[in-house]
Amino acid sequence: MTLFHFGNCIALAYFPYFIVYKCSGLSEYSAFWRCVKAGATYLVTQLSKEFLKSTVDIADLVGLHLVMTRIARKGELKVLVAGVGWGTMELAVTRVVPLWVGARGVEFDWKYIQMSFDANVSLIQYISTATLVWLWSRNDLQKSLLPIVMVFMVLTCYRPLLIEVLSHALGIQSWSLLLLNTFVTGSIGIVALQLYLTLATDEEARS
Amino acid sequence: MLENASDFLELFKSFPVSISVLLVVPIALLSGHGSPVMAAHEFPVFRMQQFDLQQTLKGSRSSLVNMEARPLTADMLTRRCVVTRLSDLTIERFKEAIQTLGAGAMLILLPKNTSLTSLEQMQEWQQLERDLLTLEVPVAVYFAYEDKELAEIYEDIKTAINTDQAGSAFEALLGVASTSGHQMVVNVGEAKEIKDITITSLQGRLAGMGVDEQLPTIGVVTHYDTFGVAPSLAFGSDDNGSGVVALLELARLFSRLYADSRMQAKYNLVFFLSGGGKFNYQGTKRWLEENLDNPETSVLSEVDFVLCLDSISNTDNLFLHVSKPPKEGTPAFELVKVAEAFFKEINFSMIHKKINLAEETLSWEHERFSLHTQRLPAGTLSHYAEPTVLGRSSIFDVRNAHSDQKLERNIGFIAEVLVRHIFNLTTKGYPRNMKVFSGSMAIDSHFVKTWMDYLGGQARGAQLFNKNHPFLSGLEQSLAKFVKEVKKFSAKADRRDPEFMFYDKPETTMFAYRVKPAIFDLFLAVGIASYLGLFYLAVMVSLKLIKTLC
Repeated sequence: MTLFHFGNCIALAYFPYFIVYKCSGLSEYSAFWRCVKAGATYLVTQLSKEFLKSTVDIADLVGLHLVMTRIARKGELKVLVAGVGWGTMELAVTRVVPLWVGARGVEFDWKYIQMSFDANVSLIQYISTATLVWLWSRNDLQKSLLPIVMVFMVLTCYRPLLIEVLSHALGIQSWSLLLLNTFVTGSIGIVALQLYLTLATDEEARS
Repeated sequence: MLENASDFLELFKSFPVSISVLLVVPIALLSGHGSPVMAAHEFPVFRMQQFDLQQTLKGSRSSLVNMEARPLTADMLTRRCVVTRLSDLTIERFKEAIQTLGAGAMLILLPKNTSLTSLEQMQEWQQLERDLLTLEVPVAVYFAYEDKELAEIYEDIKTAINTDQAGSAFEALLGVASTSGHQMVVNVGEAKEIKDITITSLQGRLAGMGVDEQLPTIGVVTHYDTFGVAPSLAFGSDDNGSGVVALLELARLFSRLYADSRMQAKYNLVFFLSGGGKFNYQGTKRWLEENLDNPETSVLSEVDFVLCLDSISNTDNLFLHVSKPPKEGTPAFELVKVAEAFFKEINFSMIHKKINLAEETLSWEHERFSLHTQRLPAGTLSHYAEPTVLGRSSIFDVRNAHSDQKLERNIGFIAEVLVRHIFNLTTKGYPRNMKVFSGSMAIDSHFVKTWMDYLGGQARGAQLFNKNHPFLSGLEQSLAKFVKEVKKFSAKADRRDPEFMFYDKPETTMFAYRVKPAIFDLFLAVGIASYLGLFYLAVMVSLKLIKTLC
């Protein structure tokens, strides 16, 4: 409304705090800086909460790693089994119901086609994630490549967040968003493939 | 197969975690993306009239729509729902679309605001409305007020290249990919006749001073129902909200007069709010029969005159329509003489028109009384000179606050004429231009305005009111505040040979879904197949490449 109204609201919200500070005797102990510190701790706590929320996706990596340690097969098979199995289940759990409900409806919308394309992108993503996790667990990986693997593993975790931020910031939606998603995932995939090939050729050379 | 099964069981044994998966799946299903919201546009629609009157079927005979939308200009309309603006529609094109081209339904978009519409345009619409009402249409016809979404849909279907409009197959393919059609759906079930529909009328009375049965009676009659191309759009402000308001205000004025025993005239006043006025005055007919059958309780035993009110809130003319001019010496003649002598701003005159029995319906309400076995002297007061004039019985007869002043003046005129007649003031030498109803007894502008506002917002098609409708209860209570012996009269159609029959679903909801034709899914299937082929090739090639590289 007006600046005056804003002033009224601020006064209503904050004056009780000020009164408590003044009347409870806090001001006499010159506790001002302590209060500021308490406030700063609040900010830090909130920020770490947000960070932890996004970090929960690291559990995916642990899960994939667990799956692969239980498969006693050759490297490439491990990776494909983990990636394809994981991705198929994800598809079944998160996309079948929306497709069943939405795509059968009378109303036509391109978003169901996009959702199906997106499932293809997810397949690439899970295979590359599995590759990266496998690479990380190898002892014979060149030490110099390990940071790259780590960085890309973190990147796969934060990929949804990254794409969301980009789409909001650039106003990308629908088909362009799908394209962006494909591009980001494809890049990660090519790097993962490159790293895998390096290791495989090394192995070949050693044997 | 068995091997696989044992593998599967092995998984559960060696991997107890997987059991928890069974618990997680339903939770993930529920908390996942969830069901997407259906993006259909839904809007209220008003169905065209559907009724049978004296065995003639009229109006739209269906209520079902589940068809793709097409503009009125399309060549192919078979089993399609035509969406058109009212201003683009003509009666010829309507007939052609329904009868020749076999359109399956029609949605007519009405402008939201008609206050700025030119007079010619309005007359064109009213003529179209009148013409539509002469037809019996086999398909559903709906009306809707145009809003932003409907305007978009209308533009969409006008510009879209549909499969049956495109020049070539390629053009059609491009068309379906870039634009989409609209499926219009009303799925409330077929319209059925309303069983045991009653037409309700209200009667009230102010008893005069003296021996009740010997006193002469003046009747004031007006019908409260309205008519238009769709019953739920018929707000009928002039026809006949103005009559109802006039009757209520007259009841109020005379009740105040009669409240004082010194001011009671030797006249009974009967007020009658009739139902089914737009269906050949069914309510009035029933009332007359009832009074004739029960002469001992009849309120119509010594009738001087029955004054019917029909559309009185416009122009400076007031016509008294009669079927037979009153003879000199009768009370009716005296009444007309008083009216002619009074009030210079109003051009009052009498119009004499014989009842045409060959016509399907009566022209004016007083004809019911003139046809009565006792030939009750009656006349209808209206600002219309002709019964068939455009503007009567139209959905465009909406509330216009500018006409209130004229309505008040006309109510005043009627009140003054009646009071002069029942007290015989003219022969007693009461000054001609002096008003009886002035000062604290004057017309209450607020009362008139409030009632006109209320009636103007209430659709009053006869089929909308069952016996216990709140509107009727409200009207009954309001009438009972002023006059005594308020009674309800119900007219029911005969079971075997019904004189009138109404149908339900006057108002419902329509959905507009964005759709693509079936052919589109076929194209899409081909597209997806080729994509999958490419995908297969890509996987094969890249796997081979990786093998050779390793």
